[in-house]
Amino acid sequence: MSRPANPNAMQPERPGRTRTAPPQLPPKFPFSGRYRAYTLFDWTGLIYLLLGFLALRVVWALGSGEPAWNHVIRDFEHPLYIAFHVLSLASLIFAGVRFFRFFPKSQLPRVGPVKPPPQPVILAGLYAAWIGVTVVFSLVLTGVLFQ
Amino acid sequence: MKHPLLKFEPIIWLLFGQGILVGTLLLTGWVLILGIAAPLGVVDALGFSHAHALGASLVGRLVLAAVIILPMWKGAHHLRHVAIDMGGAGRDAVVAPLLYLTALLGSLAGIIAVIRL
Amino acid sequence: MSERPKKKFIVTRFDPDTDDVPRTQEYEIPVEKDWKVLDALNFIKDEVDGTLSHRWSCRMAVCGSCGMMVDGEPKLTCKEPLSSYGDTVEVAPLSNFPVIRDLVVELEGFMDKFKSVKPWIVRAKRLAVEEGPMRQSPEELEEFKQFSMCINCMLCYAACPVVANEPDFIGPAAIALGHRYSLDSRDEGAAERNEIFRGEGTVFSCSFANECSEVCPKHVDPAAAVNQAKFAAVIDWATGLVLPRGGER
Repeated sequence: MSRPANPNAMQPERPGRTRTAPPQLPPKFPFSGRYRAYTLFDWTGLIYLLLGFLALRVVWALGSGEPAWNHVIRDFEHPLYIAFHVLSLASLIFAGVRFFRFFPKSQLPRVGPVKPPPQPVILAGLYAAWIGVTVVFSLVLTGVLFQ
Repeated sequence: MKHPLLKFEPIIWLLFGQGILVGTLLLTGWVLILGIAAPLGVVDALGFSHAHALGASLVGRLVLAAVIILPMWKGAHHLRHVAIDMGGAGRDAVVAPLLYLTALLGSLAGIIAVIRL
Repeated sequence: MSERPKKKFIVTRFDPDTDDVPRTQEYEIPVEKDWKVLDALNFIKDEVDGTLSHRWSCRMAVCGSCGMMVDGEPKLTCKEPLSSYGDTVEVAPLSNFPVIRDLVVELEGFMDKFKSVKPWIVRAKRLAVEEGPMRQSPEELEEFKQFSMCINCMLCYAACPVVANEPDFIGPAAIALGHRYSLDSRDEGAAERNEIFRGEGTVFSCSFANECSEVCPKHVDPAAAVNQAKFAAVIDWATGLVLPRGGER
């Protein structure tokens, strides 16, 4: 079932000699085949935006005194908040895995005299950083580090 | 039609890229502990004075600023793509500035939030 | 001699003189087991319906002429074995392109974008013959060789969701080729191309769907080129803030 793409997609600057049929979207776009993962990846933007504003709320509460901080901590115990954070964790992992898969090949082969490491090394480094930062940050947020 | 945001694209893209990269790195532990483990009682939530002492340090303020600001730009940029993919390229001149303005205002609020710690 | 099996082909047809909108036409034909999709289309044209129009040439996936949507995916029809498909095969013109007739799409829009990235060696001054040839090491060649393998088949444009929705976007193949020249050690035009990449057809419109690389039959990986071009454009923009180029072109 074809649906129209933007009517100006791939149109030439000077029209051809005959009438053309308008461009059609790829049939599997946006919810079928490989496009599904791409569309989901874009939609994680909503989760990240909300997480940013939630983090703002947390930090604002931290700067507003103990009652405000305790209020936020208690709010986060609500099942809806927990469900949102579980969904967020899944989104973070999905977005991270997809982004890390693409990051090594988007590095320029050389910037001036500097070459990047081989792509498998970059990928391993990204995952090492992800695990490392998560472990350290978790230990800090549980009070184990920096008591 | 020249898009009004054309000259800001490089910086928006940089912020978006760091939003995914640094944002994901930092947010995973943040969500795991503050959003799931502590509320479920698996670990104890940080008490106020400990949390404040950590957050108000120089490194703490930088990390908290990153946790607030960077994901907002990833979010705004990707939601802009969602709007375009849903066929809204014609409205992008309105939708994009609205989304990025949201991220900008959120970022400014984030800077104020870490300063007032 | 045993009867050849049959397959049904649902082919998009469009004649601007007689059709308001594209329609489909079904053909059921006997097929050989080693046929490609193109062989079936050529059989239809030769033996069943001479009015069917489609582009093809080399039959060996190097000319890039025979790109079409086969069962909803952009493919080179000379490369796709018919045995990969079921009893019914849908063949349509490439997505995202205006259609001239049947399976033939308008390519001039791509030519316009292609020319805009200056896909040639840009040098301020040509070497004199006495200075000998420009030398390039194998390592220097490796930096851009992959991006030079594009056969302009347009499958990447047919797959790209940004091409579908943002008409100004220069697109995968054109950006990949421009980037190929910017990476070439003999070229001095990277700064000019980075300005083009930051301009109207901005590379930053790319949302890294990676579909272009998934469908590329020559493994050019245009998504890598486009995203490297973003970095290059940002570095150029940032250094331009600090060290403005004094009118040199």
